[in-house]
Amino acid sequence: MGALGRIWLFLVLVFLYLPIVIMALMAFNASPFYALPMTFTTKWFVDLSGNAKLIAAGRNSVLIALVTAIVATAIGTMAALALHRRQFRGRTLLRVLLLPPIAIPWLIIGTAMLVFFYWTGIGRGLHAMILGHVALALPYVVLVVGAGVDSLRPDLEDAAMSLGSSPSDAFFRITMPLLAPSIIAAALFAFAVSLDQFVVSYFLAMPGVSTLPVEIYSAIRKGFTPEINAISTILLVASMVIVLGFARLSRIGAGR
Amino acid sequence: MPSDDGLGRARSVASRPRVPVAMQRQTRRDWPATLGLLAPAYGVLLIAVFLPLAVMAFFSFLKQAPFGGRPLVFTLEHYLAFVNRPYLIDVAWRSISLGLWTTGLSIAIGLPAALALARATRGRARETIFILIILPFWSNGLVRVFSWTMVLRDGGIIDAGLRWLLPSLPPLGLLYSFPAMVVGLVHAYLPYMILTCYLSILAIDDKIVEAAASLGARSFTIFRTIVLPLALPGVMSGAVLIFVPVIGSFMEPRILGGKVGVTMGTVIEDQFVQGFNWPLGSALSFTMLAVVLVLLGAFSRVPRPRPTA
Amino acid sequence: MSAVAIDGVAQRFGATLVLDDVSIVFEAGKLTSLLGPSGSGKTTLLRIVAGFLAPEAGSVRIGDKDVTMEPVWRRRIGFVFQSYALFPHMSVLENVMYGLERRGMSRRAAGGKAGAALDMVRLPGFADRKPASLSGGQQQRVALARAIVTKPTVLLLDEPLSALDRRLRQEMQVELLRIQRESGLTTVFVTHDQEEALALSDRVAILDRGRIIQSGAPAEIYEHPRTRFAAAFLGDANFLTGTVEGGAIRLGGGALIRAASALPGEGARVTVAVRPEKIVLASPGDATVGGANSLPSTVNAAIYSGAALTYGVTTPDGTAMKVFAQNFDGRILAAGARVTLCWPPAQTVLLDDEGP
Repeated sequence: MGALGRIWLFLVLVFLYLPIVIMALMAFNASPFYALPMTFTTKWFVDLSGNAKLIAAGRNSVLIALVTAIVATAIGTMAALALHRRQFRGRTLLRVLLLPPIAIPWLIIGTAMLVFFYWTGIGRGLHAMILGHVALALPYVVLVVGAGVDSLRPDLEDAAMSLGSSPSDAFFRITMPLLAPSIIAAALFAFAVSLDQFVVSYFLAMPGVSTLPVEIYSAIRKGFTPEINAISTILLVASMVIVLGFARLSRIGAGR
Repeated sequence: MPSDDGLGRARSVASRPRVPVAMQRQTRRDWPATLGLLAPAYGVLLIAVFLPLAVMAFFSFLKQAPFGGRPLVFTLEHYLAFVNRPYLIDVAWRSISLGLWTTGLSIAIGLPAALALARATRGRARETIFILIILPFWSNGLVRVFSWTMVLRDGGIIDAGLRWLLPSLPPLGLLYSFPAMVVGLVHAYLPYMILTCYLSILAIDDKIVEAAASLGARSFTIFRTIVLPLALPGVMSGAVLIFVPVIGSFMEPRILGGKVGVTMGTVIEDQFVQGFNWPLGSALSFTMLAVVLVLLGAFSRVPRPRPTA
Repeated sequence: MSAVAIDGVAQRFGATLVLDDVSIVFEAGKLTSLLGPSGSGKTTLLRIVAGFLAPEAGSVRIGDKDVTMEPVWRRRIGFVFQSYALFPHMSVLENVMYGLERRGMSRRAAGGKAGAALDMVRLPGFADRKPASLSGGQQQRVALARAIVTKPTVLLLDEPLSALDRRLRQEMQVELLRIQRESGLTTVFVTHDQEEALALSDRVAILDRGRIIQSGAPAEIYEHPRTRFAAAFLGDANFLTGTVEGGAIRLGGGALIRAASALPGEGARVTVAVRPEKIVLASPGDATVGGANSLPSTVNAAIYSGAALTYGVTTPDGTAMKVFAQNFDGRILAAGARVTLCWPPAQTVLLDDEGP
């Protein structure tokens, strides 16, 4: 059973990675029609630098992901501290309210945002996408930071205060350094969630203001060249690097 | 008084409920700080999730979107769409069978993979394979679906490979088909199934398996009577995590399904992006949300066998 | 060295009254134990002394200063936590230096003092280690060093030894006593372990349901418990209930026993306690020491533990009692044996409260 199992796992990994690898290889194929056998070129990556539309979308993607990571991590950490450190009525309800953004299909959330933002005049565009991404990333931040808070002994701050630290001094000298790996992990996670988010961005994008996944989607539907493979490869590598960073950090966080 | 046989201590232990230590940290003046910590996060969720859902619910009962001075006219007609537009029943069925196929195949592939991961690997190898399995899960879903067009399209890897063997082969037409959508969706959601199954298999105490073996059970019997029932909660939560987003998917059917890729997801998308019939789109979304909630409710009631601690 | 005076302190959590009008003085330079079962309010009282919690009523004075409204970080106390609460991201030395630096000492000076404190708790050479790499007992020593290095006015310990195994706990008790004596700190020690309280304390205060029911020197409380709870919580005790009759106590089964202390009026119902080690088992025919109480009983169980024996016996009225006996001759009384329980009247302790 052991050998069979390992063969099965290998096949599963092939299934998961083969298409991605082929897609990435095609980014280096000279033929604009993906003709085989392939001829190596970096032309498509060079072409990207002249594609103003994709560059603008890429800049938007990174900007939105950065702002999302900062905002979601800041307010999510605050919420995690309240939800995991303090006793108050309605705490369970508030924790349950974190689930809908994760559990409800993005299609429904995305269209609901479109309806509401359009109706109230919040409108579409960068700010709307940031608001949407922050909402989607928040529950993950609260989960990751909350787990970090739970792993801290609550009497550490008491100990600091008994030694002469004021509550805020105790928080910044003791709790924050101990929580730092969780907070950084949560920020990376939020960044990755935002960078990969397509559905919500798709409904909140405006002509001229979109993100990379939205541009890639419309390119796929309208007809595309290996340029799309090139930008997709870049996006893929970027998010995998971020997630590997997250995996490392959250393991360090758990080891504490 | 506790009964006393002359040896037991005649100790009257206070029967008062113990006050949790955590409560003792609470001071009454604390609530403004608690509120301040929570307000930004829940404010964002309110504006970006809860109010939108409420407003969308409101829209779903309107005859037409109230823009450009059009009057508010309430109607239930959008919820009767399935009666008035019979083709929607076909569409809904396609979405559901897409969900069933994807979920079923994910279990068939994912459960053995999770078992193999938990039982046939160890140490660094296991860690590496585990990360490799969940890594795609956080990479861009759109890009991964796109990658299948490279594999399945006429002139793609499979087509070209077969044509090299059999030059006279007619066009295969792999892309833009129902199976293409299923393959793309399985690829997208399989990691969920492996992850949830793996976690519940890991929670099975090795001693239970050893106990079963010591009682004479053969591997298949152990699998059927011990491992499978205990892994069931993982399979269930994996199934929910897959089925729910799949019936709401629209990007995968569009890219891999082409003309046959009309699903509930794409119909809803059309109402918002092409048709501008927002009330109908809202009603369809809420019908789907209701299905999702019923499903989640049903699964959360499934009793979970607890592996012994 | 400062005394700590608690006056009329009350605290409530929700509907539960956790401390009910508690007044006590922790004498300067003495080690006082707060002993009680969980839920008795002892930890809450300690947290009020520390300043983690402001009492709803009453006052706390340290020395001649009223600190009731002073938050913990201004009180100059030392606190040792049950979980040690060492800062995991700091080295042992940095942990000990923390309080000194918070009180404005330079890093150099603080490092020197902290090193000396580590010597005092016999942990030289551990300065650069992280707390996680230390054993439980070593972590406990670091926590102690960290609490005393700031020269606090009062040292507060919240069940500091309860996480240690038995051997280590005894070792640490000796150590704790040595450090307390050397430093001369006014010390309050919360515990639910009666032996620990007896071994360490200058004074013991017993808490039950938010009230201090008795306080005094350990021997005083042990020999003269005032209530059934105090007698049972500190050590073992047998309880006998009867009616005052002619200057003695008539038990349910008809036997008459004497107490050395003054009894209430004729006909009053009283409960007395007799410690199991004060009782001598005699054969029914043996002559008893003049004036001793004697109570015929039947042995129903014996536990042999080498040096000592514990007997469970039943008196004629069915009261179960416990008797400790030295193993003089290797003879063990069998179940069913008839014996007479003898003890001097001075060991019959009259309790304040009614029987059950």
